[in-house]
Amino acid sequence: MLAAIRPDSWNLPLFLHVLGATLLFGTTATVAIAGFAARARRDHSALLARIVLRTFLLGVIPSWILMRAGAAWIGDKEFPDKTPGWVDVGFIVSEPGAILLIIVGILAWLAARKQGVGRAAVAVPVLASIYLVALGIAWFAMSAKPS
Amino acid sequence: MIAGALNIAALRSGRRPSEILLLFGLIRRIAVPAIGVGTLFLFVFGLWLVHEAGYGYSDGWIVTSIILLLLGNAIGGYAGSRDRRTAEYAQQLVTQGDAPSAELQARVRDPISLAGSYGSGLILVALLAIMIWKPGA
Repeated sequence: MLAAIRPDSWNLPLFLHVLGATLLFGTTATVAIAGFAARARRDHSALLARIVLRTFLLGVIPSWILMRAGAAWIGDKEFPDKTPGWVDVGFIVSEPGAILLIIVGILAWLAARKQGVGRAAVAVPVLASIYLVALGIAWFAMSAKPS
Repeated sequence: MIAGALNIAALRSGRRPSEILLLFGLIRRIAVPAIGVGTLFLFVFGLWLVHEAGYGYSDGWIVTSIILLLLGNAIGGYAGSRDRRTAEYAQQLVTQGDAPSAELQARVRDPISLAGSYGSGLILVALLAIMIWKPGA
């Protein structure tokens, strides 16, 4: 029933956070799917590698910023002093996750330069899938709020 | 998001029919089933949550959300059926030499199809806003 007693001033930051997280999940899934497709369809691997890179630059990065800014905004309002464990799970996923995303971005750029072939092209969808699992864990923590 | 990103990629000028076919094929094989499963989960668990949280099924914001969910799916489904015909046309062109085609490009950029695809996405954003603000609750 938290939603029923949530102050109106929390709605906008919460909306931006959830929207950013939703877009982040979708764009990361696109990176993973296009990356795996590039391995399966060698005749179109260059095209799919470019799509992976563009999706990363124009989708994943802005979504992560929106998600993280919204999280900081709503976190300051809802928990100004100490954050509960389920919020910490979100920070654990978003902060080290950003490092993983930077690695994905560098590898996506290398893969696009090499026309979607090579080790970088193999690593991108695998790392993106790992990040999707981490996002799924954060998603559960944010929704179910264990403890 | 997956369908949108692949659709945007297909809009680029000079795409060969085999490339359009690949992108629309990924949408059909991966994005469309994901949308179907997601919508089913959203509907079933959403109604369950309404009960658990103590809201009424006849509350205005809940009725509006259900209508928007059905509307978004109907619009997206209609756009998807037009895209399926475009993919079939692309398949024909692949067998005829796979050269870029102005007709195919026009079909990929069909304004009705694009409005349906992106309109259904915007409806989902509106749905999220209703879930957060709960107008009238």
